[in-house]
Amino acid sequence: MPLFPSEEWVKEFIEKVNENADYEDSARTWEGDITFVVQKDKEFDGNAYIHLDLFHGKCRGGEFQMNGEPPQSAFQYIGPYENWIRLINQEIDPIQGVLIGKFKLKGSMMKIMRYTRAAKELVNTANRVKTTFG
Amino acid sequence: MPIWYFRMPTMVFGEDSLFHLKSLDERRFVIVTDRVIVSTPLLTLLKENLPEGSDYFLFSRIGVEPDFTEMSSEMESIREFNPDCFIALGGGSVIDTAKVLLFSYARPDKSLYELTPLDYLGIKEKAKLVAIPTTSGTGSECTWAAVVSEREGKVRRKLELASTEILPDYAILDPAMVISLPQSQTVSTGVDAISHAIEAYASAWKNPFSDAMAEKALSLISSNLLDVLSNPLNVEKRNLVHMGASMAGIAFSNSQIGLAHALGHALGADFHISHGNAVGLYLPKVVAFNNRNCTARYRHLNNIFQKSDRKRSLALTLESYFSEIGQPLFINETRVPVEEYTNKLESLMDLTMESTGMLTNPREASSRDVRRLLRSVVRRKQSAH
Repeated sequence: MPLFPSEEWVKEFIEKVNENADYEDSARTWEGDITFVVQKDKEFDGNAYIHLDLFHGKCRGGEFQMNGEPPQSAFQYIGPYENWIRLINQEIDPIQGVLIGKFKLKGSMMKIMRYTRAAKELVNTANRVKTTFG
Repeated sequence: MPIWYFRMPTMVFGEDSLFHLKSLDERRFVIVTDRVIVSTPLLTLLKENLPEGSDYFLFSRIGVEPDFTEMSSEMESIREFNPDCFIALGGGSVIDTAKVLLFSYARPDKSLYELTPLDYLGIKEKAKLVAIPTTSGTGSECTWAAVVSEREGKVRRKLELASTEILPDYAILDPAMVISLPQSQTVSTGVDAISHAIEAYASAWKNPFSDAMAEKALSLISSNLLDVLSNPLNVEKRNLVHMGASMAGIAFSNSQIGLAHALGHALGADFHISHGNAVGLYLPKVVAFNNRNCTARYRHLNNIFQKSDRKRSLALTLESYFSEIGQPLFINETRVPVEEYTNKLESLMDLTMESTGMLTNPREASSRDVRRLLRSVVRRKQSAH
């Protein structure tokens, strides 16, 4: 079981995204890359970045990076490690997570609000990866 | 249950509640209303209740649908007037326009697209917002959302804008404001309110506070709307429906809408049909579609309808109740041209899929499901046999 966050986890996540017909359906007109920013907290030392190239319902590639400057991307979804665990375990809805301040979003809010179902499907996909947390 | 919030304005209700305006500390008002209300006694009544020594600027350039370009035309004059309070007097379009005008006034540095719940904008530091609904249904007086139209190329889209900072400070529910509401509007706004209560109660973001509002709203509306339609001057019944509609607004504002609204917004963006009629057209079909994911909740709502109106499922009750009050159940019963509607199914499906109502609907709907629901309101031609 891959550890979150890690290169292995990203690889498996991308495979699952590309198998997810519901994600493909809801994001079929989406164009834009996104970076998941996992912030340091008491359980996780350092900042991790998961950069995903999402295009028309598929993930064309992704990279994992520990620390340093975040990769350039149209969107960033940012939260501390503890909240990522709750998100992946589906205890927090991705949009509600931003509304209650558990996560921050950088990028065009208007565009994201038109793809809320796709955002939810990405989280559903993350839940399907059998994950180990540090 | 993760942390969540319950937000609503201070509610002022009952006969002569417009009198509350006299107690406001503000003195420079922008009165937002529409071209019809401007020539009715409702505006005079409002002006008579403004505090001593106050001044007002009248903004009435609102058509049937609030259009952002149109509403921006007098922004410069509003800035020069330097208001400390916006008063919306009208239906949902007027109240939504007031919300967007307040945002544009407070944050001239921001584009319309930046009116989102994800940022702090400091809107209320600049002016307050009072909403006085003249219809019983949209619930906009109690919500932190605003729907405005915008054209992108050939596609006309309804933008679903939201920010907790555009929630009105006061919602004034004076029955005098709705006593002369025409029959067709009483039906369409009543259907809209019923849709709010039902979608809020089944929403993925439902919570005990929104549940309480949704249940009471449905009870007040479903048991009084028929009486209002048969006796429009019955102030007591009007008042109950009026309060029920606001409760439904409070419910969905705190738990969100669902697929019937997503479909209705898409239809309303492309065709001239009232919002309530558009949403009500799809509601029974959406309830039937969702039923397997919220059977117990729908059964409970069905039991709120009076025994004489109740059928064996909520979807059937809605069909029967809507038929009785004159709400169309098929596109063929509206002014929307059927052929044009069927030709536009794909673009309607795309617009529906982009709606935030898709996120909170109790059953996830694929594009195929949405297409099927869009088709389900086209009545098939009877065979010759």
